[in-house]
Amino acid sequence: MKEKSLKKLKIIKTIDELFENEEITLNKNISFHHHLRNGDYVINYVLQKYIDEEVQNINLFPSAIFPNYKTILTLIKNRQINNITTNYLNGDVAKYISTHGLKGKLKMQTHGGRARAIKEGKNYLDIAFIAAPYVNLKGDAVGYLGKTRCGSLGYAIPDSLYAKIKVLVTDNLVDEVINNPEIKGENIDYILLMDKIGDRAGIVSGTTQITTNPLGVKIARNTSLLLAELGLIKNGFSFQSGAGGISLRVTKDIKEIMINKKIKASFFSGGITKYHVEMLEENLVEKLYDVQCFDLEAIDSLAKNKNHLPISASKYASPLNSERVIKDLDIVILGATEIDYDFNVNVTTDSHQTIIGGSGGHSDTASEAKVTVIVSPLIKGRIPIIKKRVTTITTLGKNIDCLVTERGIAINPLRKDLIKQLKNTNLKILSIKELAEIAYHFTNIPKDITKRDKIIGEVEDRTYEIIDYLYQK
Amino acid sequence: MSRSYLFIPGNTPAMIQNLDVFDSDAIIIDLEDSVNAFDKDAARSLIENFLTKYAFDEIKIYIRINSVDSNYFYSDVNQTADLAIAGYVLPKASVKAIKQLNQVSNKKIIPIIESPMALLRVEEIAKQQNVIALLFGAEDYTKELKIKRTLEGTEILYARSIIAIAANAYKLDAIDTPYTSKDDEEGLKTDALNAKNLGFNAKALIHPNQVAVINEIFAPSKTEIAEAKRIIKKSEETKQGAFSLDGKMIDLPIIEKAKKVLEKAKKYHL
Repeated sequence: MKEKSLKKLKIIKTIDELFENEEITLNKNISFHHHLRNGDYVINYVLQKYIDEEVQNINLFPSAIFPNYKTILTLIKNRQINNITTNYLNGDVAKYISTHGLKGKLKMQTHGGRARAIKEGKNYLDIAFIAAPYVNLKGDAVGYLGKTRCGSLGYAIPDSLYAKIKVLVTDNLVDEVINNPEIKGENIDYILLMDKIGDRAGIVSGTTQITTNPLGVKIARNTSLLLAELGLIKNGFSFQSGAGGISLRVTKDIKEIMINKKIKASFFSGGITKYHVEMLEENLVEKLYDVQCFDLEAIDSLAKNKNHLPISASKYASPLNSERVIKDLDIVILGATEIDYDFNVNVTTDSHQTIIGGSGGHSDTASEAKVTVIVSPLIKGRIPIIKKRVTTITTLGKNIDCLVTERGIAINPLRKDLIKQLKNTNLKILSIKELAEIAYHFTNIPKDITKRDKIIGEVEDRTYEIIDYLYQK
Repeated sequence: MSRSYLFIPGNTPAMIQNLDVFDSDAIIIDLEDSVNAFDKDAARSLIENFLTKYAFDEIKIYIRINSVDSNYFYSDVNQTADLAIAGYVLPKASVKAIKQLNQVSNKKIIPIIESPMALLRVEEIAKQQNVIALLFGAEDYTKELKIKRTLEGTEILYARSIIAIAANAYKLDAIDTPYTSKDDEEGLKTDALNAKNLGFNAKALIHPNQVAVINEIFAPSKTEIAEAKRIIKKSEETKQGAFSLDGKMIDLPIIEKAKKVLEKAKKYHL
């Protein structure tokens, strides 16, 4: 098998050369990963070819879409794209789809759901273009080495296994052995060389700073007090916090508790930042399971620390994978654009129905963590975050356990165990409706302006259940 | 009896809307230094509307008006006269200024001692009608003395001592000057402990993130509360004015101090 693959592997210098070997019109289900985030050059380079060749009826499967992916917008406007299936999108593409829709539909999946759908052929990929910063002549690759290193390549691994044609795109082809490659050369068909696959400055996520905003600080403090009171911060606990400012502040507060009480965690998972790395280096946590690096410090740590491990999207969150990391997750801290009386959470659209994000791993981790905590100010930009019904359901309320705000904490009535544990607490526990009333006291109840006339997309949970629709605004 | 007095600019709706979530025992809504001249009228209207609509039972709200020498003093007082606030914080305090304020208002007053002259007259200031606390303003004080303000605060040791002594002598709250290095938590702790050890029972703050530290430092510690409980218990058991506890003599002043500790502990839910 390996010998056969090695014979097949071709090194090519241009996208034109690729499509001299492969018929472009037979390869219209196209996937990309987003590990280079807004610094990615590969997506625009590849899709320009599809624009130039006027290929019609394209279906895109990028793991996420960032503002710099401008060729996608051109393809949509040219009516060359039928459907887009992704986990997250923002910027001009998201705005355009919100107001115009697609020729076909937008499907929002979760990170774990995408891995599952690729494996099961539900997301059928004709061709996967995998930006890879460090590739050897066998087609082995890692993301955490090379001049354009971006950290873990976790989201690209299912694509590298199951797409019909797999193309590694690199600016750094080496004649070296790569131990434990994330992408295995035996699966790869082409190595496409580029001068530069991306700009490292664009790789850093925009939100990887600990908040100093007083409300954020208060919410984080309330959260760490809640977790401590629930007895969750104990030796061997596992934790995921994401890269939002409040979530990172919670991580900082938990770190202080851990130091004071001499507690060591078993693992942190998901998107990894320098703050998680610091805790690994200070021996406060045994392992980091890294599906994407949010900053350059995390990338460098991945290259040098044997307990900082890159994992695939499947190992991270696929419901099919019995060894998925998040099934052992104790606590996850997540954000919300909106949350409703049933604890359904929206991180996909804003209150004006503009698409501003997507699940990523939101629904995956919420579904599996023992305790899922949403952290958010009660009022954002004069709009209460609690609504009777969220504009778009990203994560089902049955998977959300706690909402922590600056003015109090609401526990999902389904979690009678947590409510019982907090019976004698000094923390301010209110019902979600009571919290909403506090917000309405300042803002009144905003008029619901949601239009539900024309469906432009759907939100597919990791179970394949369609949990909500996206409507044209 | 408040531990923390947090300044909030009077022209920041987002801060004012959340004034009760920062856990500060008292809030000082500022119309003076943090509000530009062109924004003073808007700030007054904002405060008036907000405090007319919303009431806060568990938090003391003061307004720092502009000094009596400014063009804004009477407008500040007139537009806030009917608001249910705990009182005014008066900058550039002097005996004359307090008397002037008392002529147009019956509200309680916290004068800011922020000039060498005010320091020389601090006892007289403490005796004025409606004065309930003394607040030390070290920034303006050191500016007038033309000396460098340091984070260590050795240059203000004398002023702090005098103000704390005067406030305690006249049973007023002694409120220490803000610590301006807002991100230096360790420095804040040291500075607040220094003030507490000189006799201050509270501190003014310029950032909400400083509140938790200040509240902790100016609240009785667990050890102090436990000790106070033992003293009161023994006092009630012996029914004597003076007695021995763990080899130490306990008399009336110590019993009174223990009562105050327990009073504070109860107030702050400790």
